[in-house]
Amino acid sequence: MKQLISEYGWQFIASYGVSLRISCIAFVLGLLLGTLLTVGRISPIPPLRQAINIYVETFRNIPVLALLVFIVYALPDLGLVIDYEPCVIITLILVSSAFTCDNLRTGINAIDAEQIQAARALGLSFSTIVTSIILPQALSSVIQPMVTLFISVVISSSTGSLVPLAHAELTGLVTQINNKEAMGVVTFLLASILYVLTGLIIAFVGRRLEKRYALWR
Amino acid sequence: MSRTETALFEATGPKARRRIIIGTIVSILALIALGVWIVYRFYIKGQLESQYWYFFSQINVWAFIGAGLVGTIRAAIGSGIIALIMGLVLMFGRMSKIAPVRWLATAVIEFLRGTPTLLFIYFMFLVPAQLGLHISTYWMVVIPTSAYASAVLAEVYRSGVAAVPFGQKEAGLSLGFTRAQNFVHIILPQTMRIVTPALVAQLVVVVKDTTFGYVVTYPELMVNAKVIIANFSSLVPVYLVVSIIYVLVNYAISRLANWLLHREAAHVTSDESRN
Repeated sequence: MKQLISEYGWQFIASYGVSLRISCIAFVLGLLLGTLLTVGRISPIPPLRQAINIYVETFRNIPVLALLVFIVYALPDLGLVIDYEPCVIITLILVSSAFTCDNLRTGINAIDAEQIQAARALGLSFSTIVTSIILPQALSSVIQPMVTLFISVVISSSTGSLVPLAHAELTGLVTQINNKEAMGVVTFLLASILYVLTGLIIAFVGRRLEKRYALWR
Repeated sequence: MSRTETALFEATGPKARRRIIIGTIVSILALIALGVWIVYRFYIKGQLESQYWYFFSQINVWAFIGAGLVGTIRAAIGSGIIALIMGLVLMFGRMSKIAPVRWLATAVIEFLRGTPTLLFIYFMFLVPAQLGLHISTYWMVVIPTSAYASAVLAEVYRSGVAAVPFGQKEAGLSLGFTRAQNFVHIILPQTMRIVTPALVAQLVVVVKDTTFGYVVTYPELMVNAKVIIANFSSLVPVYLVVSIIYVLVNYAISRLANWLLHREAAHVTSDESRN
């Protein structure tokens, strides 16, 4: 234990930083992309809606590992070579945007149709209705599922251990240490405590956000 | 389309209709352009040549893919069954009247839920071997996958129990049922009916997690795909086909969950309308 901390302490912190960086970028960009896709999905343009539906069902149902392997190993054969860390981030963005889209749709369905009718009766345009009535309500009613999504993005960032990242994320570091030194249970326990604590902190912040912004109907 | 979505553009005027038509044409053109670009990328990189695709006409290739799928299903069913039982055990612990049991169960649930399954699989792969224990690759996949699912299902069960109307429990107590009898005869059967859709939906996550068999070479779909790739040096088509299989299988499971959910909702509304 002592040896572990003196020798690998800093590496642990750095790797944890890499995990957090990957997760945060992927979650935020996934949220933005997912919101954009949601707007397309409720637009009155049938082919766009259909295409986005297919996008959502595809990336919601594909295993993260299968998608990552495809992006890392198959795309270069199609002439798209991307560095490893962006590969992991892109994978997580694709998946989290699909789930964001799904969550937001549930949120939108919870809005009363009468509100939209009232807005239209006042002559508001589609874009005004979407940005000032639909999205704020939908976003505030899906805080809980989005918190769950963020936690699962953090957990899924562990798939970064499957590719040779320049700076290993937490799970990758643990396997490296174990391949070298056979430290066993302690390294794994330390890493999983870090993951668990991160999840608990995100859940705590999410509850605070929900108290402040959730709509009570 | 939901009622809210319909309300957004029912009874459109001539101007809006024109805009919708323009939007439709533009998006069709954009989607065609995207499709053409993808096919073009395949074409200039020679990925459309028959050497990369011909082996899909061989029956033994599909038999091998099928064997991978069977491996995936075997791991998913194993994990699913363990999780159904362990989830129930953890839920009982979490709802126990004895405080230390409750704390322990809560800690176990949070720990299993918050730890990446992949980290746990690496643990099963590396640590028992260091201690001189031999574990088959099947269990290296199934133990971590079912551990995560158990923790999630424990919470699903708990929300199901919470969803059973309180009056049901009171009625049981007034009939002289003990706490245990009440649970077994009144609460649990209703809970099961409520949570079935969520249990089925969770199966998608279990199927996804079996892909981690890739790490420990348990013969599931991803691992068998790798073998085919090594044999025919055809990377893009094989991974594409395998990804499509995963999407279709999981899509089917989530549709099933959805169908169960609506059937359940239909039951509830018809029960209400009878009152």
